[in-house]
Amino acid sequence: MAEQVQSMEQAVIRKSRAHRNGRIEWGRLLIYAILIAGAIAAVLPFYWMVATSLMTLGETIQKAWWPDVPQWHNYVEAWTEAKFSKYFLNSVLMTAATMAGILFTSTLAGYAFARMKFPGRNLIFGILLSTMMIPESVVMIPNFLIVRGDIFPLPFGPSWLNSLQGLSVPFMANAFSIFLLRQFFIQIPHELWDAARIDGAGHVRFLTQIVLPMSKAPLMTVALFSFIGSWNAFLWPLLVTTTDRWRPLMVGLWTFVTEAGPETHLLMAGAVITIIPILVLYFLTQKQFTEGIATSGLKG
Amino acid sequence: MAEQPLTEQDVLAQRKERIDWREAIEGYLFITPAVLIIAVFGLFPIAYAFYMSLHRWRVRKGPLVGLDNYEKAIGDWQGALIFVVGFILLYVAYRLWQSAFTEERTWMLLSKAGSALVVIAAWYAISFGWGRMLLEGDDRFLNALPITLYYSLGTVPVEIALGMILAYLLFQKIRGQEFFRMLYFLPYITPVVASAVVFRTIFSPRETSLANRFLQFIGLEPQKWLFESRPFLEVVFGLKLEGFWAGPSMALVSIILFGIWTYVGYNAVIFLAGLGAIPKDLYEVAEIDGAGQWQLFRHITLPLLSPVTFYLALVAFIGTFKAFNHIFVMRTPSALGTVDVASIVIFDTFYKANQYGYATAQAILLFLIILGLTMVQNRVLGERVFYG
Repeated sequence: MAEQVQSMEQAVIRKSRAHRNGRIEWGRLLIYAILIAGAIAAVLPFYWMVATSLMTLGETIQKAWWPDVPQWHNYVEAWTEAKFSKYFLNSVLMTAATMAGILFTSTLAGYAFARMKFPGRNLIFGILLSTMMIPESVVMIPNFLIVRGDIFPLPFGPSWLNSLQGLSVPFMANAFSIFLLRQFFIQIPHELWDAARIDGAGHVRFLTQIVLPMSKAPLMTVALFSFIGSWNAFLWPLLVTTTDRWRPLMVGLWTFVTEAGPETHLLMAGAVITIIPILVLYFLTQKQFTEGIATSGLKG
Repeated sequence: MAEQPLTEQDVLAQRKERIDWREAIEGYLFITPAVLIIAVFGLFPIAYAFYMSLHRWRVRKGPLVGLDNYEKAIGDWQGALIFVVGFILLYVAYRLWQSAFTEERTWMLLSKAGSALVVIAAWYAISFGWGRMLLEGDDRFLNALPITLYYSLGTVPVEIALGMILAYLLFQKIRGQEFFRMLYFLPYITPVVASAVVFRTIFSPRETSLANRFLQFIGLEPQKWLFESRPFLEVVFGLKLEGFWAGPSMALVSIILFGIWTYVGYNAVIFLAGLGAIPKDLYEVAEIDGAGQWQLFRHITLPLLSPVTFYLALVAFIGTFKAFNHIFVMRTPSALGTVDVASIVIFDTFYKANQYGYATAQAILLFLIILGLTMVQNRVLGERVFYG
């Protein structure tokens, strides 16, 4: 027993000696070197994008690191002539509509699944959850036919191609958001509901005046996820926008690649414009952003 | 009727109560908007996709053709069946090999020899079945499968290994940990279409492109990257192999590099959370017992992280089989279809060739493949996970 204690002490002493001798310091230096190399690899493409976006057309072919004179007007050109202002506005409208829709539908449904009793509640909830497994490529084609008005007549017009409703309505509800909010609503103490009921409040008043103000964090997470999902959406908008009228940024950027091939500097300026809103959101809500994604695993 | 926090009995008791129809109607009204949208755009399309796949359907609905669309994709049923049996045999061999480590000596030799034989049989079945499928089937669709597999095997292990290394290093009480974490996360949160557009110019064949600058910096010849349809092994090592072993094209390798760049930081962030959950005293005890850094990593970190690794591998694997956006943006005509993974082929069948029925059949086949792979991965990797 005494020997053991002694050897433990020795191990501790050995360790701190090694520390003083600087052997571990070399190790730490190596760690920093690797971490910094990783950081450079992560950031360099962004630098490349910004540098290229400030070059003249000629410089994009010859140069790699920085233009002689930064061409800030490239951004003006991309914004006006390459119609990124229009795409930007479309993206903002599409994202806002989708986000509002998701918040509305998933708050109501999440609340009902958490706190109201009705026959078939768990069955319906289970069926909704099962849609999370189905890949987009399977439902994409039927949805395209629905939106084109081929399968059944649609409200708000015979076809939803090239329209805001076509871009946003199909995504105005998803099982994930409902699930997330339900998990939160279910934890709200029953005493609150009892007290509210004694005061004569129904579900609608309880939800709007007591539950929602308490649920800022999960609502924020749902809003953040729907913002990212909608802002980054590409395949569906590509299918349902055949003209510029409602084309969002991602599709605009892509058509710019195919139509204006060699104008790399404008393309990069467009990419910067596309990325900025997400970056701003990221820096403003960093903690929630990182943790929200880390705990729920957004994207594939 | 004072309600307390819900317990099991409460739930049961409540279930026996009479249904409060006023509340029930209100409940149905609450869920109506969500259920309506998910039913119309999430559930109905699944059934309709299956219905479409049974028809000849070019823009407008045509005659019912039964399973013809599926047969058109995979060639003939027997070939496909032999092919699948090959994979089942591989699984059997894996099981046999595992049983070798628990039994006595003679049994060990027997089961090792047995599993070697089964692997040979499996390999024969797979290549024979595949050959038959290629004879009659749709070349583009079938070729998309090994391409998808290359993409998957090229990205997932690398991004997980690198993510784990970075997270492990970041966890060593590093100054500016938060700052590094933020930088590593940037590629992941960037809209993938935008970053893919940027990487299109980074991997351009120009001598001044970032990728070629890097090659020149370390003293190598510039490459054509996304515009190179020849296999990576041939371009870099001069190795000319046949069939599946020829490996991914240079263009696909560029896309794989992009995939790794995008997801390493995400994996690192999640691993970092996992590392934080490992009890500190485990390390202290092991250090006192004289364990070195590598032993600490191998015998404490790795096993205790395995649930996280498993989760990430599963999600990443499924993700690579569904990958579309960045591959669509980064593909070039000069790559000659060597980067066309399954979801790209499905899109082309639908959007360019206007074969709606056939495209849904392909999509359903892809879904079945993903489902099968997920199940296998669940069994094979899942049982290696250590849940503490």
